Amino acid sequence: MEIDPLPNGNTATENAAARPASDAVASLAAAAKAAAPALKVSHLSDSLKLEHQFLRVPFEHYKKTIRANHRSVEKEVSAVISAVDSSSSSDFSRDDAVSHLSSLVSRLQGLKRKLEEGSRVENLQAQRCRARLDHLESADADNLSEWSNTRLKRILVDYMLRMSYYESAAKLAETSNIQDLVDIDVFHEARRVIEALQNKEVAPALAWCADNRSRLKKSKSKFEFQLRLQEFVELVRADNNMRAILYARKYLAPWGAIHMKELQRVLATLAFKSGTECATYKVLFEVKQWDNLVDLFKQEFYRLYGMTLEPLLNIYLQAGLSALKTPFCYEDDCPKDDPLSQESFRKLAASLPFSKQQHSKLVCYITKELMDTENPPMVLPNGYVYSTKALEEMARRNNGKITCPRTGVVCNYSDLAKAYIS
Amino acid sequence: MELNTFRGSFEHVVKKRKLSSSNCLQVVDKINHELERALLRVQSDQDLTLTVDPKSILKDLKSKLDEFGPEKELESSQKELNTNLSKTQKLLEKALNPDISKANRKIEFDGQTMNKIITDHLLSQGMFDVGDCLIKETGAPEANLLRSQLLEMYQILEALHTRNLQPALNWVTVNHEKLKENGSSLELKLHQVRFMELVQQGSQSDALKYARAHLAPLACSHMDEIQKLMACLVWIGKLEKCPYFKLLAITNWEKLGDELSRQFFLLLGRSCRLPLAVAVEAGSKTLPSLLKLMNLMGVKTQDWQVMEELPFPVDLGKSFQFHSTFICPVTRDQGTLENPPMLLPCGHVLCRHSILKMSKNNSRTFKCPYCPLDSSVAQCRQLHFP
Repeated sequence: MEIDPLPNGNTATENAAARPASDAVASLAAAAKAAAPALKVSHLSDSLKLEHQFLRVPFEHYKKTIRANHRSVEKEVSAVISAVDSSSSSDFSRDDAVSHLSSLVSRLQGLKRKLEEGSRVENLQAQRCRARLDHLESADADNLSEWSNTRLKRILVDYMLRMSYYESAAKLAETSNIQDLVDIDVFHEARRVIEALQNKEVAPALAWCADNRSRLKKSKSKFEFQLRLQEFVELVRADNNMRAILYARKYLAPWGAIHMKELQRVLATLAFKSGTECATYKVLFEVKQWDNLVDLFKQEFYRLYGMTLEPLLNIYLQAGLSALKTPFCYEDDCPKDDPLSQESFRKLAASLPFSKQQHSKLVCYITKELMDTENPPMVLPNGYVYSTKALEEMARRNNGKITCPRTGVVCNYSDLAKAYIS
Repeated sequence: MELNTFRGSFEHVVKKRKLSSSNCLQVVDKINHELERALLRVQSDQDLTLTVDPKSILKDLKSKLDEFGPEKELESSQKELNTNLSKTQKLLEKALNPDISKANRKIEFDGQTMNKIITDHLLSQGMFDVGDCLIKETGAPEANLLRSQLLEMYQILEALHTRNLQPALNWVTVNHEKLKENGSSLELKLHQVRFMELVQQGSQSDALKYARAHLAPLACSHMDEIQKLMACLVWIGKLEKCPYFKLLAITNWEKLGDELSRQFFLLLGRSCRLPLAVAVEAGSKTLPSLLKLMNLMGVKTQDWQVMEELPFPVDLGKSFQFHSTFICPVTRDQGTLENPPMLLPCGHVLCRHSILKMSKNNSRTFKCPYCPLDSSVAQCRQLHFP
C-alpha cells in the first residue's frame, strides 16, 4: 500500500488535539467494563445452568420422533415379512401371487417415502437442538442485555403456552423472531388433548396415553386410570349402569392390582348415583373433575418432555422477588425502580421470604447510587444521610448551601459530618 | 463449559441416526429387491412353460428373507442409537440443572395479577399487537390509558429514529415544568441537536434566532452549556477547529431516545427499567445459589415453606439495590424505628441498642468499638436514610 505521510500526519495531530476529553471518557468506560465482566461472566455461566428445559425439550422431541419413526418402520417391515410367510404356505394361483406380491411392493414403496419424510423431520429437529445450543453459547458479557431480553421473551412464551394463550404466544414469538427458541409445536400436541378434555372428551387423551405407554408406565403414571374412572363415572351419571359395569370389567379391572382402593370407591358410585349428597361420592360427580384431568395431563406432559412442572416465569419470579423483598419495599416512598413498588408485584411476593441482609447497604436518595468508600455517606445536621457526590454537586450549584430534599432544612456544606458505616 | 461434551455427544447421535436411517433404507431396499425378483419370476412364467409354480417361488422368497433377517438387522443399528440417545440425555442432566423448580415454594400466583403484569410489560416494550392479543385471550381488563400514553411515547421515539425532533420537542414543551422539577436536561439536549444542525448548515442568523427563542429560556439551569453552544457560532464555516463542537454535537441519537423514554416513564410514575425484566433478572441471579442450597443442605420442604427470610444473602449487584439497609456492625441487627442507627461523635455508626448496652443504659461514657474515642449517649445523633 502506498503511504502518504503528510496528510496522514496532519489528521493524526488534529485528532490528538481534539481527543483528550473523549479519550478520557472512553478509557473510563473501558475500565468500568473490564471490572464488570469477571463478575458478569460468572453470573452468566451460573444462570446458563438453569436452561435445562431449553435444550431438553427439543432433544426429547427429536428422540421421540426417532423412536416413533423407527417403530413404524419395524411394524411395517414385520407386517410385510409375515405376509410373505403366510403366503408361502397357502395355495396361491399365479394371478393371486402376482397381485399379492405387487401389493407388498407398493407397500414398501410407501414405507420408503415415509422413511424419507421421517428423515427430513428428524433433521429439522436436530437443527433446532443445534440452534438452541448456539443460542446458549452466544451469550457473553457484550450482548448480555439483549440476551436477557430474549430470555425474558422465551420465558413469557413458555408461560403463555402453559396457560393456553396460544395466539399470544405465537405472536410474541413471531414479532421477536424467536420461533426456534420456543416450543410452540410441542404444545400443539398438548392443545388437542386439553381442548378435548375441556369438552369432556377422553379419546385424544387416551390416544396420547397409548402413544406414550411405555414412558408413562415407567413413571407409574395414573393418568390413564383416571381417564378410565372418569368415563365410568360419566356412564353412571347417564344411568347407563349395564354399560358402566361392562366398561369397568374391561378397562378398570386391569388396574385393580395397583389402585384397588380408588377403584372400589369409584365403583361404589353405582350405589350412590349422581344426585348423592354423600361427600365421598359427591365430589366424583363434580364438573371440577374434568379440570383436574386437565391439570393431571399437563403434569404428565411436562414430565414427559423434561419441562419444569411450574411455568418458568413463576420459578424466576419467586426467586427474584424473594431476593428483592425487604420491609422497605412496602413503604409509600419505595422508589419506582423497585418492582415491589407496584401493587401487583407486592401481591405476588406476599407469601415469599424476605431477602437476607448481612451488611449495611446505603443508597443515596438523590442520585440513587450505592454509597461506598469512593462516594461515602455524609450526615446533615438533622441526621439525614446522602452521598458525598450528590451533596457536593448541590453545594456547587447553590453557593455552598444544602437543602435537605426530604425535610427542606437548609444548611451549609461545612455543617456536614462524615459517617463511617461498615 | 460442560455443554461442549453434550454437543459432542449430540453430534454423535446425529451421525448414528443417519447411519441407522440409511440402514433402514437398505433393509427396505433389500426386501423390495427380493420381492420384485420373485414378482418377476412369477410374471415371467407367462405361458406356464416353466415347471416352477408360484408356491415354490414364494417359499424361495420366504427362505431368502429368513436368511437375511431384516428385523434383526433393523434392531441392531437402532439399539446403538438408543443407547447413545440416553447417554446424551444423561450428559445434559449433568451439565445443566434438570429441575430448577426445586427451590420453589408451593404457592399459586394469582392468574389475573400475572396477566396484568405481562400485559403491562408487553405494552411498555412497545409490543402493542402482542399485548392486545393477550388482553383478548385472557379477558383481562384493557389498559387503555397506559396503552395510549405508551403509544405516544413510541411514536415520539419512532420519529426520533428518523431524526424528526418535532414530536419530542412538542412533548417536552408540554411537560416543561415537570421535567424541570426532575432536573432533566432533555429539553436542552433536544434544542441543542436542532441548534447544532443549524450551525452545521452554516446559517448564523437562523441559529441565533433559534437560540433566542429556545435556548434563552433555559438559561437559569444550563448557563454553562448555553455559553459553549453560543461560542460555536463564532466558528461557523470551520467547525472542525471549534474546541466545543465535538463535545456538543450530539451524534448518539440512541442515547437521546433512552433519555426521553426514561423521562417519559418517570412522568408516568413508572420506571424505564421494566419491573418484570428486573424481577426475572434478579431471579436468574438468585436461582443458582438457591438451588445449590437446596441440593447441599437438603432443606426440608416444610421448613422452606415457612422461612421468613432467605437463609443467605444474595448479591444482585449495585443496580438492584433500591433501599438503604443499616446492619449494626456490633449486634448484626437490622436498623428499625425502635432501634435506629446512631452516629457517634467519631463518625462511626451503631444501632441504639448497642449504644445503650455499652453505656450501661446511659449511666456512663463508653468507648467506640472501632476507635479509641469516648462518647456519651447524649453526644450521639439518630440517622435517617431516606
